[in-house]
Amino acid sequence: MSDKIKAMFEDFVAGRVGRRELLRDAARFGIGASAAGMLLNAAQTRALAADYDWKAHQGKALKVLLNKHPYADAMIADIESFKNLTGMSVTWDIFPEDVYFDKVTAALSSHSTEYDAFMTGAYQTWQYGPAGWLVDLDEYLKNPAKLAPNYDWDGILAGLRSSTAWSGKPGDALGGPGAKQWCLPWGFEVNNVSYNQRIFDKVGVHMPKNLPDMLEVAAKITKDAGGPYGIGVRGSRSWATIHPGFLSGYTNYGGKDFEVRGGKLKAAMNSPQSKEFTKLWVEMIQKSGPKNWATYTWYQVGTDLGAGASGMIYDADILGYFMDGGDNKERGHLAYGAFAANPNETAPTANVWIWSLAMSNFSKNKDAAWDFIQWATGTDHLLFGARKMDMVNPVRTKIWEDPEFKEKISKYPGYLEQYTATAPKARIYFTPQPLFFNLTTDWAAALQQMVAKQVPVDEGLDKLAASIDRQLKSAGLG
Amino acid sequence: MARSDVRAAGLPRFLRAFALVLVLIFFLFPIAWIFLMSFQSNEQILRIPPHLLFTPTLMNYRALISGKLITAAGSLDLPFMRNLGNSALLSAASVALSLLLGVPAAYAFARFRFRLGENIAFTLLSFRFAPPLLVLLPLSLYFQELGLANTYVGLIWVYQLICLPLILWIVRSYFEDLSPDVEYAYRVDGHSWWRAFTRIAIPLAGPGIAAAGLLAFIFAWNNFVFALILASADKQPVTVGALAFVTASGIQYGQIAAAIVLSILPTLALALYAQRWLVEGLSLGAVKG
Amino acid sequence: MSESAEIALHQRAGVAASRGARLLPYALSLPALLVCIGILIPFGTAAWYSLQRYNLAMPFTRGFIGWSGYLDVLSDPDFWNTVEVSAIYTLATVVLELLLGLGIALLLRERTRLNNIVSIALLLPLMTAPAIAALMWKLMTNPGFGVLSWIVGAFGLTNFKWASDPNTAMLTVVLVDIWVYTPFMMILLLAGLRSLPTQPFEAARLDGVPGRFVFFRITLPMLMPYIVTATLFRLLDSIQQFDIIYAMTQGGPGDSLMVFQVRAYLEFFQYTNVGRSAVLMMILWAITYALSNVFVKQWLKLRERSHGAQ
Repeated sequence: MSDKIKAMFEDFVAGRVGRRELLRDAARFGIGASAAGMLLNAAQTRALAADYDWKAHQGKALKVLLNKHPYADAMIADIESFKNLTGMSVTWDIFPEDVYFDKVTAALSSHSTEYDAFMTGAYQTWQYGPAGWLVDLDEYLKNPAKLAPNYDWDGILAGLRSSTAWSGKPGDALGGPGAKQWCLPWGFEVNNVSYNQRIFDKVGVHMPKNLPDMLEVAAKITKDAGGPYGIGVRGSRSWATIHPGFLSGYTNYGGKDFEVRGGKLKAAMNSPQSKEFTKLWVEMIQKSGPKNWATYTWYQVGTDLGAGASGMIYDADILGYFMDGGDNKERGHLAYGAFAANPNETAPTANVWIWSLAMSNFSKNKDAAWDFIQWATGTDHLLFGARKMDMVNPVRTKIWEDPEFKEKISKYPGYLEQYTATAPKARIYFTPQPLFFNLTTDWAAALQQMVAKQVPVDEGLDKLAASIDRQLKSAGLG
Repeated sequence: MARSDVRAAGLPRFLRAFALVLVLIFFLFPIAWIFLMSFQSNEQILRIPPHLLFTPTLMNYRALISGKLITAAGSLDLPFMRNLGNSALLSAASVALSLLLGVPAAYAFARFRFRLGENIAFTLLSFRFAPPLLVLLPLSLYFQELGLANTYVGLIWVYQLICLPLILWIVRSYFEDLSPDVEYAYRVDGHSWWRAFTRIAIPLAGPGIAAAGLLAFIFAWNNFVFALILASADKQPVTVGALAFVTASGIQYGQIAAAIVLSILPTLALALYAQRWLVEGLSLGAVKG
Repeated sequence: MSESAEIALHQRAGVAASRGARLLPYALSLPALLVCIGILIPFGTAAWYSLQRYNLAMPFTRGFIGWSGYLDVLSDPDFWNTVEVSAIYTLATVVLELLLGLGIALLLRERTRLNNIVSIALLLPLMTAPAIAALMWKLMTNPGFGVLSWIVGAFGLTNFKWASDPNTAMLTVVLVDIWVYTPFMMILLLAGLRSLPTQPFEAARLDGVPGRFVFFRITLPMLMPYIVTATLFRLLDSIQQFDIIYAMTQGGPGDSLMVFQVRAYLEFFQYTNVGRSAVLMMILWAITYALSNVFVKQWLKLRERSHGAQ
């Protein structure tokens, strides 16, 4: 390759010329679009390599554990650039989402050295971290010798950076003093409303303004849409029922999961705010939710929206995004909106799920694994994922400003707007503590009993709080 | 079987036929529905109300067999055929080992009354009721140390928990029902016990061995927790493989249906092959004591 | 056979004296035992965990607590709910599957080509892995797309909520269990029925004994050892049911389907509470041990009686 062409691509990577000029110049040299892409990739690789020794672990072999997810697909599609950049080889094990965390827990609890890095959610690190299975990634982030200068840690949304860091002390704020960075954000979702514009138009309703309004809109859809029910939310006996729309709205109403006093936790699920919100929530499901609500997980909520069985969902924005494509019947009819449940609040307080990458403490190639994590959460790969694959939502603010990504996302009506309105306050609103999964599962079971009218809401929440306090005490946390 | 048994059930012919039709509808309707789903796209499956008429498509099977799944998120690799191969290997090898170990042991318990015999038999049965969850964590720790983690050998060993007790106790029942007199006569003719065992006892207990082997094969085939916990992705059976169609961007019901159909086929073929022994059986009345 | 079957064949063959022959039954059964014995080591480790406070997420609180882990569990009302739910589930599935399996086996008893094909076809539900089949049942009982919901709707039950309603959740999972596992009962009982000797039935026919009498006095007693074996295995599996319940409802709604294995699974894999999970599993193990003991004793007694009667 001539030096001139090489210089041209390097100018682009350095930001000295724009994409359009680059492609025009490239065409002059007889370089087609795909060849240009390759050259560009090579130039980017050189740019990355310029100020950091990416080849330090050349020849090493890494193995990562992945969940079957569009993010993992994006990673695999781009894996050649990592191999070229570092000279390492990477293999991966992909497990179905249904059993993924069972596999992770099994691998880590048996101290398996097989996997160097793996996908995880932030909540899981509240177990894995204190158990001693994870490497505190601050060791790398805060060591200039080990961090690529252009990694741009601060370019990741602040709420996500803090939500993936915790001191390990029950009740301590996420990202507070002494927090350890258990994992790095990779892709995330905020919980908002995705709705079916076709059904909304047919019934003559608008995007709900707040929770009382949502109850009315949902009831009208159930009554008038001729089949579809009003609102899809999750309801299975699992922590996953609590964390999406429910906790986002709950927080908006001023509800908290725990009060933390002097390092001790006390259940707050029966506060007046919580009772007010929960009553509305339960009534909404009873009147306009899916009939089989108590078995509803992510999949059913999504499927119903995509197939036109529900008018709207209050769940992850990316769930609505995924349903707006493929062979879903309602593709092209979905729209998105930011949702603040409390009529007295203007800004949404969306709880987030963050798919992140963590490093196994049993890895025998920690520094090499770090290079992998650094690459996978770095700007270049995330930009590739956002433009070419379904790596939504990007965790880096810069990517949201990328014209190519912006153009792609603008095809989803209201998506960018709901994100922009929600991002500033998007973070994890749970109090981190090691019993997270027990207590949220109990919470979901209590909701099921209230929706089935086995117990009134007030009494159900009092009982729940009492039971949770008992469990906290016996674990030495309350 | 003798005519009298027809009357023994105490039902007139048309009532029996009616009962059989009801039974067939209950047990086979879901299978038939799954079979129909396997020829539909997700969009066709997810219609309200469900439809009986549709334009069949082979796309689900094509995706499974070619190993490429085309979704909203692009084209993905599917190791489904490899999963199928793993299931076949794990189930067949486990059942073979269980038969090798279990049939002689069953014979010993049926034919000999020996010290600790019933204790050993009961201990072997008790492996069936060790809840798998109970042993999984310690087992995976020990497997790491022994180097058995992530090996077929290790998995086949653990699968003995499923297969061996079943084979042992069912086959034992059949040996118990066979009169020892035939073997006795054979041995008086100067044959060794080994010949009596292999030439007389095993053929006569054929239906029992076939039934036990088939059931053990089915249970091994349907298991997924052992491989999930103890092995990496390339050794997963079809049960784990089929869960891969439950993805963040939707459940691919058509492909799950096709996966069920494909994963039934080998077992069904085995059942049809074993049918000779399984349900036709041998006329054992002649050899009863 | 006039002599008791307890007398070993080789003894009557006159080769009892040799030491090798005395060791023969051990030589035949020990390989099976040895292959399985390795499993006893992790079993012992798990029993040891059950005596500890051991949550993976709280490694610093780990310590030996003796029986107090058991006392905690036994004094928890949720545990007794688990016992109750497990008992109802096990009883309902095993009894219904036994009756249905026996009925179908009787229907298919005659050795005709049609019966043979039907009996193989009826094995199909057993051949679909319960964990996957449950996904399909979940779809088929979906109020919108579900064919079963549509069918019961056509009969006027438009608001039937299947596994989602605490009142019908048990019914739904029991139905799925029956669908999956009745064929197991059926095939074992059918094979048993067909291997019964013909003489007693022919004698009864010649004497003109009524059908009901033949069934209760000849068929059923002779089939009993097979019934006990099949019931035992079904019981062991049913009391440990996990796949169907977890895939359909994860133990809900509320606590209405929190059987042993679901609770133990959650404690282990989701709550990382190894100690509590081990306690639950040890209790379950003790229950199944006791039940199997009863069954095996009964089985041995039946064996002796049936051999003695001949």
